[in-house]
Amino acid sequence: MKSKQIKIALRNCGHIDPEDIADYISKDGYAALGKCLTGSREAVIETMKKSGLRGRGGGGFPTGKKWELAAAVPGEKKYVICNADEGDPGAFMDRSVLEGDPHSVLEAMAVCGYAIGADEGYIYIRAEYPLAIKRLKIAMAQAREAGLLGKNILGTGFNFDIGLKYGAGAFVCGEETALIKSMEGNRGEPVMKPPYPAQKGYMGKPTNVNNVETFANIPAIINNGADWFASIGTEGSKGTKVFALAGKVKNVGLVEVPMGTTLRELIYEIGGGILNDKQFKAAQTGGPSGGCLTEKHLDTPIDYESLKQAGSMMGSGGLIVMDEDDCMVAVAQFYLDFTVEESCGKCVPCREGNKVLYQLLNKITHGKGEVEDLKKLKNFSEIIKSASLCGLGQTSPNPVLSTLDNFYDEYYEHVTEKKCRSKNCRALIKYIIIPEKCVGCGACKRACPAEAISGEVKKIHLIDQEKCIKCGACYQKCKFNSIIIE
Amino acid sequence: MACQIKENEIKEKVIEICGEFKNDPNDLIAILHKAQNHFGFLPKEVQAAIAEILNISSAKVYGVVTFYSYFTMEPRGKHPISICMGTACYVKGAEKVLKEFESKLEIKNGQTTRDGKFSMNTLRCIGACGLAPVIMIGEKVYGGVKQEDVSKIIKEYE
Amino acid sequence: MKAIKSIDDLKTLTDEIKVKSIEDKKKVQICIAMATCSIASGSGKIFEYFKEEMPKQPVEFIIRSTGCLGLCHSEPTVEVTLPDSDPVVFGSVDVKMARSIIDDFIKNGKTIDGVIEGN
Repeated sequence: MKSKQIKIALRNCGHIDPEDIADYISKDGYAALGKCLTGSREAVIETMKKSGLRGRGGGGFPTGKKWELAAAVPGEKKYVICNADEGDPGAFMDRSVLEGDPHSVLEAMAVCGYAIGADEGYIYIRAEYPLAIKRLKIAMAQAREAGLLGKNILGTGFNFDIGLKYGAGAFVCGEETALIKSMEGNRGEPVMKPPYPAQKGYMGKPTNVNNVETFANIPAIINNGADWFASIGTEGSKGTKVFALAGKVKNVGLVEVPMGTTLRELIYEIGGGILNDKQFKAAQTGGPSGGCLTEKHLDTPIDYESLKQAGSMMGSGGLIVMDEDDCMVAVAQFYLDFTVEESCGKCVPCREGNKVLYQLLNKITHGKGEVEDLKKLKNFSEIIKSASLCGLGQTSPNPVLSTLDNFYDEYYEHVTEKKCRSKNCRALIKYIIIPEKCVGCGACKRACPAEAISGEVKKIHLIDQEKCIKCGACYQKCKFNSIIIE
Repeated sequence: MACQIKENEIKEKVIEICGEFKNDPNDLIAILHKAQNHFGFLPKEVQAAIAEILNISSAKVYGVVTFYSYFTMEPRGKHPISICMGTACYVKGAEKVLKEFESKLEIKNGQTTRDGKFSMNTLRCIGACGLAPVIMIGEKVYGGVKQEDVSKIIKEYE
Repeated sequence: MKAIKSIDDLKTLTDEIKVKSIEDKKKVQICIAMATCSIASGSGKIFEYFKEEMPKQPVEFIIRSTGCLGLCHSEPTVEVTLPDSDPVVFGSVDVKMARSIIDDFIKNGKTIDGVIEGN
């Protein structure tokens, strides 16, 4: 699962004890901070700009530019925030960095603090990551004891300390303004931008927010040089990206590849191909904000621009592989179910619009959809995208638009023929016993919770379609492959 | 659900917890986490006590408790079961696992068994996607959970 | 760790730790992944096993609990680096394989099944 990989953000994961600062120092830990503190703040920002590093949380905003904006705002008090909310289902890159190399994030936050003129930082971490929280607390305590956090770091007069703030299960808090509201003890409701957090963020002060993976790259960039980082990747997307390969792929796990690696290389060479050698159908990137890449995109080099052009987005790096057994209409419904629940409710297009999208998809997967509904899905999606307040609403229709675009036939079949070709949508399938194959063992009858199967011992059994609740228990139990799904 | 914890017990503990955060309303979420860890849930009595100590409105506390899915106003079971319904788990059959738990425990998602032993809720991504489908019981993570594993897992806690 | 008072002191400390690392390369280094997925797959038991069994072996060794290598499909994973050799990663390690890693691979240098290539 490797040779194409270059590990920068994950360079130390699996090789050092995350609970021993000496191990981190043995890999030149905190040398980058030392190097920065001997030079000017401007020099640090120049290095970041030259490296071409872009935000790894999904936005892809140039990191150096972001730091420059925060540094330029006058003010005695500024903050550095690390977004460790990692709300995208299917993404676990940040968790691995925090569990395997927490000091890399602490060091990078201190570098950022120096560059922008902040003396205080916070890591906003999701409550669902107890081990990462534990290791961060240990790392912070060790860094303080070693004088690498706190007052007068390395005798340079630079002060910087870091605290922890916890999420509580709200996807929207991955959006930076909602995150800041949450850090201030409020509901995580985003606010209009501008002003951007760089101008007015946490506690009304200039604040720089970056993702865990973005920070994890920084000590390596400082130590090896901006040119080194910029030599990896593509023209517009420098460096590497960590992907969480999950779903129907053989080698599920984390991979870090140069930007520009193709989907084919990721799924087939590194990922080992599709589980059970089934047919590849789609790869979802960008989580609930993204879209799907299909067979026609297999040779697309993956970077920020190419994914946008393909109707998806980089997102945080979650890459869910789907096969012939996945119904793309049901997948769109799954994402909308998520978005409806996670919408903060503040703006009408997102709060009400996504509900409408969900209801339409639900109607379609339950066999009650009409062709008109497909047009409605598209129209509503476009309105929600253009009128929502924040990134959550602006991207929530992407899974719908992307699946409509790439799998229109499936949608059409659902509404005209009431057929689900992946045999996924319960309302559109039937379990049928093949008379020629049934041996009358009765296993299916005993398993059926709805008493929908009749038949005597050693005689052909029959499923009453009126009573059948399509739970699939009979299908699971039958040892003679006598039951098919139609 | 009527709160069975004594009023002065609530007050004492809330004063202690809020005090750890210097009664700073900015730390409301961390305070609610600690309070929920201690009391097992956040009934309106606990919310009111927190509001009083932090000098903020009860409505504000209620608004935050109901916004975040981690916080619950209903007591959780002795063994809270969280079933991950993130995309990777969904694609690997998490819905079937959820239905099996619902069937075996005779409760629906979001409910607690009558004997208070188990409660069930869904989570959106524990970040263990490599082991999908994933569930957690308390802090213990179970990976690769299939429908047929559910009975065995429940038995571990009986 | 004592407070590091200056950048020069950090450089000195780094060099000292690196010298020790080079010394450590003469020992058998065993890294057991202990991330969330690893622990959920049973790596805790494997870690304890190595901690209990390695002191009984006639080799100098270091055991580290680390983050994960991203090999979720093969947890628990154990990376073993014999003196003057490249690291070898074993996947889906259970107690039986841990025993074989100690007896066959570490003590006798024999190749065994379960290696994850390309790491």
